[in-house]
Amino acid sequence: MRDALPRDRPEQYGAAAWVLILSLDMLPWPWGERLLALTFVLKACVQVSCLRQALRWAGAQSLSGARRWRLAMALLAHHGRALARSAIVGLRSPEAWRPYVKIRGEEHLRSARGGAILLGFHVGMPGSDIALRVAGQHVRWLGGNRVSRGWSRPAWRPLVDGDDELEIDAGPLGGGVLRRACRVLLAGEHVYLTADGGVGREAFRVPLPGGPLVVRAGWLALRTHTQAPVLPVLSHREGPTHVVTIHPPLPADLVSCEMILGRLFEDYTRRFPEQCYTLAFPPPGGTTALAA
Amino acid sequence: MTDPILRRVLAIVSRVAGPGRTPPDAGPETGLGEQGYWLDSVDMLEVVIACEHEFGVVLTDPADLTGKSLTSVRTLAELIERKLA
Repeated sequence: MRDALPRDRPEQYGAAAWVLILSLDMLPWPWGERLLALTFVLKACVQVSCLRQALRWAGAQSLSGARRWRLAMALLAHHGRALARSAIVGLRSPEAWRPYVKIRGEEHLRSARGGAILLGFHVGMPGSDIALRVAGQHVRWLGGNRVSRGWSRPAWRPLVDGDDELEIDAGPLGGGVLRRACRVLLAGEHVYLTADGGVGREAFRVPLPGGPLVVRAGWLALRTHTQAPVLPVLSHREGPTHVVTIHPPLPADLVSCEMILGRLFEDYTRRFPEQCYTLAFPPPGGTTALAA
Repeated sequence: MTDPILRRVLAIVSRVAGPGRTPPDAGPETGLGEQGYWLDSVDMLEVVIACEHEFGVVLTDPADLTGKSLTSVRTLAELIERKLA
C-alpha cells in the first residue's frame, strides 16, 4: 500500500494531501469533507500567510472585527471542502450523491438550439459538470488534465468516460482539442469548460473586491466558430447540497458579456463570499495547482 | 513534401501569428509554440480552421492533432499532405 501511493497519486496533489485524502476517504460522506475543512482552518493557524490572505479577502468585503475573522475561517474551511469534493472523498457512487445535487435554470439549457457552451468558474463547489451529468444532462467536459481517485472508481466511470472528456493542453496543442470541441458543439452536444482557469489567453478582467476575476478566451473562440449560445454556470454549496445554477445566454458583444459577468459575480461574492476560494487564493500556477 | 503546401501553411501560420510574433527567419522548421511563433491554443484553433478551409480537409481526429503534427510548420504541412493523399 505504501509503495502504491506515489504511483497512484495524481500530480496535482502533494504527498501529504494525498495521504490525508486517502485516509479521509474511508469515512462515511461527508465526514471526510468536514475534517478536511477543519484541517484547512488549523493549517492556516500554522501557515500564517494563508490566514493573512483569507483575512485580506474578508477585509476587502467591507467586513471588520469578528465578522471579518468569521468570513476568513469560513473561506479556509470551504477551501478544504472544495479540495475534498474535487477528489470525491467519501462519495462511493453517483447514486449516493444524486439527492444532494440541485440544478437551477435548466430551462436555459433546454431552450438552447443545438449545442451550448456551459461556462463554469472556479467558485463554489468543483465538479459542476459531473453534477450536471448526475442530474441527467449529457455534457462534454473540456479542460486540463484531471485525475482523482474518486473518479477512477468503477461506479463513477460511466460519468467520466474518456469519450466525454476533451482534455486540453497548454500551448498550440490545445488548439486541436478546441477544434474537436467545435465539432462537438456543431453536432448539437453541450460542452462545459471553465472561463477562469490558469491556462490560455486572457480575454478580460472583471474587477471585484479583493481581486479581479481573470476570464480566458477559449470560450470566445468556440463561440465565434460555432455560434453556440454561452450559458454562465455558477455553483454554490447549500449545506450538503451542490447547487448548480445555469444562467441565461450571454449577449453577442463582448462589452455586454463583461458587464453581465460583472453583475453575476458582484451578486455571487455578496451572497457566498466564503465560497470564492480561487478569488481569495489565486493559484500562481493556475487552477490545476489548487490542490497541491 | 510538396512545396506549395508548405508555402501556403507558412503563409497561414504567419498571418495568424501576425508580424509581431513571426520570427524574421521564419521557415518550415520554425516551431509553432515556444521559441517559434508562440501560438497559443486559440491561435492554433484559427490555424487549424484556416488550413481546413484552404485545403478542404478535416483535422478533428485526435490522432491528427498531436504534439508531433503540431510541432512546426513542416510537420503541420506533412499532416495536410497525408490527409490529401
